[in-house]
Amino acid sequence: MSEPHTGHCLCGQVSYTIAAEPVGARTCWCRDCQYIASGSATVNVLFPEDAVAFSGRLGRLRSTADSGNTVERGFCPDCGSQIFSRTAEPAGQPIRIRAGTLDNREIMPPSAIIWAASAPSWAVFDPALPCHAQGPNSELMEHKQ
Amino acid sequence: MTYTGQCLCGGVTLAISGEPIGARQCWCRQCQQIAAGGPTHNAMFKSEDVEIAGKLASGTWTASSGNTLTFHFCPSCGNQIYAQSSARRHLKTVRLGVLDQPHGLRPEIVIWTDDAPDWAMIDPLLESWPQQPPAPTPTPAA
Repeated sequence: MSEPHTGHCLCGQVSYTIAAEPVGARTCWCRDCQYIASGSATVNVLFPEDAVAFSGRLGRLRSTADSGNTVERGFCPDCGSQIFSRTAEPAGQPIRIRAGTLDNREIMPPSAIIWAASAPSWAVFDPALPCHAQGPNSELMEHKQ
Repeated sequence: MTYTGQCLCGGVTLAISGEPIGARQCWCRQCQQIAAGGPTHNAMFKSEDVEIAGKLASGTWTASSGNTLTFHFCPSCGNQIYAQSSARRHLKTVRLGVLDQPHGLRPEIVIWTDDAPDWAMIDPLLESWPQQPPAPTPTPAA
């Protein structure tokens, strides 16, 4: 499937179109993501930020992530669905669209696992994927046997 | 208190005074939408054991069973806190992500695997159901 890609929250109040192909996809097990994802990792598909157009009202929560970056998470205030995460500081990074809101969740399967050191003991990792202890440039971890 | 928890922004807090009757991982399409692409992880507690403080917002969907599923979340950060089925008002299904760690709870059953994306990683050692399993039965009192 080619662009534009589309997606929406559970209740439909927020929707978006993306006029670009993804530049990456990964699962994130940082503690903040486990809050956001009801105990799972978030699954994120990365796009150039200026290619994404949202419609509807968005809630936004800005905080300092485990990485030390200032991160803004966007969600639907009517249903709580998490829509995106973007790095406010430092600028220029791709926006992370939460895969659960994409109409086509198969656009790009995850190609890396990040913040694996924070994952619960029962988390299941794809043994074919690189597994980073912390952020995407951090050291690789051995997969659990 | 057996378990405590809060949402990401701290606007909602939980205090739970008993053990869950079970914990599940759910891959239904609605759960993927509210859980940022993965499954929700849920521990089912007796409703009266769960105390929640702070402002909650809620929404509903109609389950394939015809039951109404009401989900409750923090309006300030969107974190899902718990859900409740119209057929099982005696249970509150608390999202594992909001419980303070370490809590020792883990999914025992995987449900709605029919809706999981191709790239989903599902523990092959867990009991799994393609759709909704039978209703949980309370553990007999010890």
